[in-house]
Amino acid sequence: MTAPPSRRPAKRRLGLLAALLAVLAALPLVMNVFPDQTWVTNSRLFSFTQMFMLITLTSNWNLTGGFTGYVDFGHAVFFGIGAYGTGIFMNEAWPFWPSMLAGAILAAIFALIIGYPTLRLKGPYFSIAMLGMFVAMREIVRVAKPLTGGGVGLTLPPYLNRPLFYYLTLILAVLVVGIMWWIRRSEFGATLIAIREDEVGAEMRGINTTVNKIAAFVLAGFLTGIVGGMWAYQNTFIDPDGVFFPSRTVELVMMAMLGGLGTVAGPVVGAATIYWMRDVVWANLAEWHLFAEGMLMILIVLYAPQGIMGKLGDRSGTSLLRVWRNPLRRSAPEEVPEDEVSV
Amino acid sequence: MNGVTPLLEGRGVTKRFGGLEAVKAVDFKVMPNEIVGLIGPNGSGKTTLFDCLSRVQPIDEGSVHFQGVDITRSKPHQVAHMGMSRTFQVIRVYRKLTLLENMKVSRQWRGENLWSQMSPSHRDVEERSRDLIKFLRLEHLTNEPAGTLSGGQRRLLELGMALMPDPELILLDEAASGINPTLVEEIKDRIKTLNQEQGKAFLVVEHDMHFISDLCNRVYVLNYGEKLAEGTPAEVMENEAVIEAYFGT
Repeated sequence: MTAPPSRRPAKRRLGLLAALLAVLAALPLVMNVFPDQTWVTNSRLFSFTQMFMLITLTSNWNLTGGFTGYVDFGHAVFFGIGAYGTGIFMNEAWPFWPSMLAGAILAAIFALIIGYPTLRLKGPYFSIAMLGMFVAMREIVRVAKPLTGGGVGLTLPPYLNRPLFYYLTLILAVLVVGIMWWIRRSEFGATLIAIREDEVGAEMRGINTTVNKIAAFVLAGFLTGIVGGMWAYQNTFIDPDGVFFPSRTVELVMMAMLGGLGTVAGPVVGAATIYWMRDVVWANLAEWHLFAEGMLMILIVLYAPQGIMGKLGDRSGTSLLRVWRNPLRRSAPEEVPEDEVSV
Repeated sequence: MNGVTPLLEGRGVTKRFGGLEAVKAVDFKVMPNEIVGLIGPNGSGKTTLFDCLSRVQPIDEGSVHFQGVDITRSKPHQVAHMGMSRTFQVIRVYRKLTLLENMKVSRQWRGENLWSQMSPSHRDVEERSRDLIKFLRLEHLTNEPAGTLSGGQRRLLELGMALMPDPELILLDEAASGINPTLVEEIKDRIKTLNQEQGKAFLVVEHDMHFISDLCNRVYVLNYGEKLAEGTPAEVMENEAVIEAYFGT
């Protein structure tokens, strides 16, 4: 599908992107070349690694929540399955890469199994069902002690190499954003947006909405499972409360909203902005930072529901309120304002 | 028409909403290469019957057949794949997608798989989309989001979206309302051309009797969910029961 026309010359944007990536790729090298400098440290690389993971997770969430319009409040369940899959296989003496892949495949299979019944639900009903799925999986992990270590958790073989994880998460983030960019320009991407805009109409025009929704859901689950596996290996320890962290999905929703739901660049902008604000600005607000986050969320919904990219004119975006109104929008044809009906 | 399998056939189609029987045991046929009109006063059940025939609404009794195949339990996208396309009384376009994207996403999905959908462009689809956009005189809006169009422009876009998959049967639900008269004439000509040269069949719901009489071979009249009359446009317009239903005299 043809992308909406950009306001900036594509070459210039590509050049800026390449320069940014080159700077990011060079950061760990600075540590080796200039060992006395204090700006690029292992701690800072760790911060960037976390940010890249959040960009990837938010982009994955945006595939179902933003493009397709199914706001998933349990998306972190795929992160948890990926993390636990990796941990369990590594404890069986599997190397990291096959373990991570197996964890991601498990997450994708789980998405396929639960996607079929849950994606028939609309709007808030789907969101609540996924939230329930997330809580249920956390409890299953807690009680499946022989496999998961229960509440005590699992320890993975330690491998402390900050630059390696930095590069892995950077490459994954670039890859995932690239996949989202491609999807947005493909017929598949336009199909997902058509489902978000008018699911009944899309079905009437020959789109098998069930297959397309499940495909997006499974892909998002698989990619999030990879992030979970990387996070588990980097962390070297996983437990139900740390992996199935309840506010993780809320963070993703917030980041996608701030950046712009249903846009390619939105999750990148949103995740980077919130992570940077949290790391740099809110660190000075001590216990008030959660209050600041809450206020930011309210302000976004009230004054910028299309997010930063929506405000900047990326017309493929949408607002959470529109997505949330799905039950009404999908069960009845969208009303055209009276003044628009005449030629 | 004896011996020829109807393109679309409803047998005793009944639809209820709670205690209200919106469509009452209606028998209905559209033969190949035919343009059939469906008229009736407001609230007579025309759009409900349309929805039942195109599988938007499940029916409570009776059956629906398309090209001889029972589609009573088929899903709407399966019916669309078989070659039935439609427009809606309340316009349905994808507001956030551009005109071109709206057209492309409405193409025929027969034989397509997800992998082929990952391709950003199919040249034949692009050409067909642009041709139809040009016919609808919307080429200056090709890359604009559909949400920025006026109601009439959206109506035209929806018509283009219905034509995009090259269906065997097209159901038009008040497709001419809100469109300027000159273009309505062109649309009529286009429908006649598609019917005469390509054998496309149409089922048309329309309040404009000139539109119906100019186009249709046969007309069904509904009133209170029941089939009131059936015949050529001239026969129907002279039918006393029809006149009474419309004018109450």
